[in-house]
Amino acid sequence: MLSFTNIRVGFYLAVRQVRRANLWTTGLIVFVMLLTFLNLVVVTGLLVGIVAGISNQFRIQETGDVMVSTLDTKDYIENSSQILSFLHTLPQPKVISARYLAAGTIEANYFERIDPNEKPNKTGASIVGIDPVAEDRFSKLSSYVGEGQYLSPSDYDAVLLGPQLVDRYSFGEQPGLTPLKKVYPGTKIRLTINGYTREVIVKGILKVPANSPLAARVFMPDTEVRQLLGRTDYNVNEIAVLLAPGADANDFRDFLKRSGIAAGAKVRTFEDSIPNGVAEVQNTFGMIGNAIGSIGLAVAAITIFIVIFINAITRRKFIGILKGIGISGEAIEISYIFQSLFYAAIGSALGISILYGFLVPYVSAHPIVLPISNAIIVAPLNGTLIRIGLLVLTTVVAGYLPSRMIVRKNTLNSILGRN
Amino acid sequence: MIEVKNLTKTFKDGPVETRVLKGIDLSVAQGEFIAIMGRSGAGKSTLLYQMSLLDEPTGGEIRINGKEALAMSEREKMFFRLAEFGYVFQDYALLPELTARENIALPLLMQGISGEAAEAKAEAALARVGLGNRLNNLPSQLSGGEQQRVSISRAIAHTPSVLFADEPTANLDKESSATVMDIFKELHTGGQTIIMVTHEEEFAQFAERIIKIDDGKIVSDIRP
Repeated sequence: MLSFTNIRVGFYLAVRQVRRANLWTTGLIVFVMLLTFLNLVVVTGLLVGIVAGISNQFRIQETGDVMVSTLDTKDYIENSSQILSFLHTLPQPKVISARYLAAGTIEANYFERIDPNEKPNKTGASIVGIDPVAEDRFSKLSSYVGEGQYLSPSDYDAVLLGPQLVDRYSFGEQPGLTPLKKVYPGTKIRLTINGYTREVIVKGILKVPANSPLAARVFMPDTEVRQLLGRTDYNVNEIAVLLAPGADANDFRDFLKRSGIAAGAKVRTFEDSIPNGVAEVQNTFGMIGNAIGSIGLAVAAITIFIVIFINAITRRKFIGILKGIGISGEAIEISYIFQSLFYAAIGSALGISILYGFLVPYVSAHPIVLPISNAIIVAPLNGTLIRIGLLVLTTVVAGYLPSRMIVRKNTLNSILGRN
Repeated sequence: MIEVKNLTKTFKDGPVETRVLKGIDLSVAQGEFIAIMGRSGAGKSTLLYQMSLLDEPTGGEIRINGKEALAMSEREKMFFRLAEFGYVFQDYALLPELTARENIALPLLMQGISGEAAEAKAEAALARVGLGNRLNNLPSQLSGGEQQRVSISRAIAHTPSVLFADEPTANLDKESSATVMDIFKELHTGGQTIIMVTHEEEFAQFAERIIKIDDGKIVSDIRP
């Protein structure tokens, strides 16, 4: 019976049992709880964070918070200059990058090809014309240069290559992509856009994960791409906008649409423009994380069960004495529930401190570099609280059951140590 | 106060039955100090456990202050033991992680007494057995004799109707045993009903009535 007296006596006993328990034993149980908490939250958070890392890459390296792009029926954004001027007058954008996009080919090692029937070392690529200064402010492109140097606005006939275009760095096979062999900074390659071919020098090679939007692109100063495209009207193909903190992407998208920009271009938020299925992948990873976490939860439950069972069975005589002198079985069981709660609470509190005080901020600042993504830890507070609730509930049940088993034994047999 | 009629207790171990109590009739009056004696296996402790509601007899009747004990539920028995009885065991039976004061305060808290009042009563009970200066000592920090005195304090702190003692001096040296028996004598003088099991003739003499049991039956009931 859950009476006030039972709770009071149970608490009185639990506090003293915990306070005077062996410090190493208590430390070990709390450590198990801490590991269980981290297993429950961090593994799921990391798995979801891999997908979030991929999504975030697209946001910070390509789309920004809001992307203005070419209509399906057009080759470029009409009145790009006016749109850019308008965007620069608004308070919400923090950084804007306008880009020219063109499909083209790049070819290497053409001097070594003797036989005209030999297959050229050539591949299709997306050529991106950028303002090197604006793009660097937008995507920090210069920080991804792994070999060579970043572009400068005055560069002529110089390009940056994504790693998927270079044989030494390409990860896995991609259809239609034949990475270039023996290409280093300073190597000359042929670039063809729109039927025009130019020999350019590889100024740098990027170092980004395989699924980064930068991985299979060729970057070139916008003035040159404009020339190759023969575009004299300064109309670009995409304008990526990173918003200032506090600005809402949906509100800004709607504002741009209301301002008439939607008549000549697509206006989408990052969420609108990320590939379909990302949310499903995120959910799938979350489910896998939950499954792994559940195993951890079961292990913690068994650990607590064993600890409390051994504790209760070695204290069977004292449990018998307590019952003998009139302490109710419920009060004794409650004392074990309080002990389990204590272990779960301390373990979870330590876990929360480590998670939000160190792991999440540290991994956000220094993402874990994986071949497919720069992973972060996604651990929303409400999800964490639900997991703590699960941990506490499991622990309480695991603590209650063995104590109940021992408390139910015959009082006199317990006192006398009889079976 | 306690009426026992035709009390029997049989232990079963598979097909083997052992009749430990074979029809005990006994009457205990208010304020009596009774010593139950007998050789090992005679059934003296078993009789004490039946009368103190720690065990369930196989047959017979136990009436305590007119109330039929065998008709009580487990919960009623627990509250009866808590409020009306006090226990002193051979091995002291103190909780190792509770101090002397806390060991005594615990059953008082179970009776619904406030924390402060329980602690005050515990201190008074310890002072009564001469341990007023060992309030915060854990059992492991006390000698055997001191632990038994704490155990007596726990048994009397709530002024029970009956104090049951099962071989209270068996684990003690002569000096500590004498101290414990002096406390019993003093309690009896104050009107406390005491039922004590002992196999030591010397300490049985402290009682006003000595009951001897042999082979599950009372063989003598004398007032020395």
